[in-house]
Amino acid sequence: MLKCNINGVDLEVPEGTKLIEAFLKAEQKIAHYCWHPGLSVAGVCRLCMCEIEGNPRLQIACNTEVQEGMVASNQSEKVKETVRWGMDFHLINHPLDCPICDQAGECGLQEQYMEYGQYTPSMAHAKVKKRKVVSLGSKVVLDSERCILCSRCVRFTDEVTKTHELGIFNRGDKSEIGTFHDKPLENKYAVNTVDICPVGALTSKEFRFKQRVWYLKDEKTVCPGCSTGCSVKVYHNQEGLFRVKPEYDAEVNEHWMCDEGRGVFDWVNRQNRQSYSVNAENMEKPSSSELKLILTAQQTVEEYESLFEYLKSSNKKVEVYYWKNNPDKFDDFDNLLIRGDKNPNTKGLLETAVKHDITLNPFSGFDGFESFEGDIWFILPENKAVYPLYEQYVEKALKLENNLTIFAVPKVKVDKTKKNISILPLKTYFEKDGHFLNFNGLKRQLKPGPLQVSSALALNEWVSFVKSDDFGDQVDLLSKRKSEGFRKKNEMTQTGGGL
Amino acid sequence: MAFILKDEDKNFVLEELKRYESKYSAIIPSLFRIQKKEGWISAEAVSVLSEVMGLPEAHINEVLQFYTMFNKEPVGKLHVQVCTNVSCAMNGGRELAKKICQKYQVKEGAVSQDGMITVTRVECLGACDKAPMMQVNDKYWEDLTQESAIQILEDLKQKVVG
Repeated sequence: MLKCNINGVDLEVPEGTKLIEAFLKAEQKIAHYCWHPGLSVAGVCRLCMCEIEGNPRLQIACNTEVQEGMVASNQSEKVKETVRWGMDFHLINHPLDCPICDQAGECGLQEQYMEYGQYTPSMAHAKVKKRKVVSLGSKVVLDSERCILCSRCVRFTDEVTKTHELGIFNRGDKSEIGTFHDKPLENKYAVNTVDICPVGALTSKEFRFKQRVWYLKDEKTVCPGCSTGCSVKVYHNQEGLFRVKPEYDAEVNEHWMCDEGRGVFDWVNRQNRQSYSVNAENMEKPSSSELKLILTAQQTVEEYESLFEYLKSSNKKVEVYYWKNNPDKFDDFDNLLIRGDKNPNTKGLLETAVKHDITLNPFSGFDGFESFEGDIWFILPENKAVYPLYEQYVEKALKLENNLTIFAVPKVKVDKTKKNISILPLKTYFEKDGHFLNFNGLKRQLKPGPLQVSSALALNEWVSFVKSDDFGDQVDLLSKRKSEGFRKKNEMTQTGGGL
Repeated sequence: MAFILKDEDKNFVLEELKRYESKYSAIIPSLFRIQKKEGWISAEAVSVLSEVMGLPEAHINEVLQFYTMFNKEPVGKLHVQVCTNVSCAMNGGRELAKKICQKYQVKEGAVSQDGMITVTRVECLGACDKAPMMQVNDKYWEDLTQESAIQILEDLKQKVVG
């Protein structure tokens, strides 16, 4: 460990630590555009300037290693003046079109400008015009004028995905990032370049112009897209969910996530949800002593725990069927993050089943069910997009004559005159408490965000209802539960401006 | 017109690759080789080169786009580069460039209708003591006047046609 002093704060850092990491560790503000903890050092933005005692010239903190006893600061007038000028150089050709830029509100350049902007530009020449709104494939849009050539995105495609699509072309003030011959940037991690872009040069087609970022809150949770279980942040407000971004997790995804995982939020929005229960009173009737239950690996460990406990204690003859969506691809892995098992909690399900001595029979349609007369519980997967046979099985289930209970996140269209079928709305990963076990057994905790569907419950909560005597009253109460206030689109822009 | 890398050029590239510690060092000689044969370097040529060299297209393109001595558009048989940097500009370099454009009815950077001439303005070529000057293909012509420059180009044209 090396002792050093950063802006008057004494701290110890491991050998090989860059000065900028020491600044961040000491919780000192230091501007940085080109430096990113997950990428190599480029040292091109020249904004992380600091003064090191005994060194006559200012140094960039990102490319200077901490030495024993180093005393560094970025508080002096000299540093501030340098940073102010560095900033001005970045703005020579930057259009400053923040009002129409999607990055506004989470832009490094904008934040820096508030502190170090010259406000009256000292550049006499006209700005160099570059290309705006260049489509780089189906996911990313490039605005060359906003780019400050930090090269983070270029290093990302070189170092992380190793697909090498991006480069810096031309030179001097005509330098531009881009792909060769404007080829689409279609690798499976392309939107990470949008995340690491410190300005609005790369924006996401999916999220562009959907919301101003200051109208969004974020909630840290776990991506349910596959068994990797990346830590993510979900951005939402009262209109629903808008985007997913990766959250640093050293053991799982580091700084990145795949583009597929970024799309795994749409089914949480209420317009795609089963938002009311159907024939809930069925659950109260004395039912058959035989029960067949179909489940997937998309619920939390807590849900399986309470479900299996209930099954064991109910004195019913129970058979549990495990619906695997794509068993032949379960072990696929792209050597970065994406796994073939598109369920977040396969490990959790298997472990909990063993713990409660539950046998999981493979589920392959309702073929053996004709002669069965008992009850059926069908727990539908919440991410139905990764279940190719979803529609087919649901259709078949709805034709069954048994007493059928469907636990569903997605909307299920059912003939309400069919009294044998009841549907109970489930909570999604975004709304419930609990944890997943990822592919190698790492426990990742979900954090309940605001409810999108007021009558939805997690599976363990439904089970506790079933166990209680007053199921009907509970469901009644549930239907009266206040949902989050629905907001009209762009309400803020209509009413929020009232001073 | 599809670009085809001839066997001899391919072998040249493969030989160059062996010469250097880093593959990237072989990009410039390979690009020059193609430019010498074709006159310019097309996007297709970059794609082919990328395959032969085992380097990403974007990285070859970075080198290609950085250096002005690589032609990214087709040029005429005589590529006339007129210096318009300080010394030459003071001695009539800009007017010289304009005059040549006028004479051959060609816009700067474009190819004349007969496919013979492309005129581009360039920065200092290091012959300030002989200003104004121009470079035609690989050769320097110095201490020019408008008349002498046209005469030189006419002679060269004759040689190419003849």
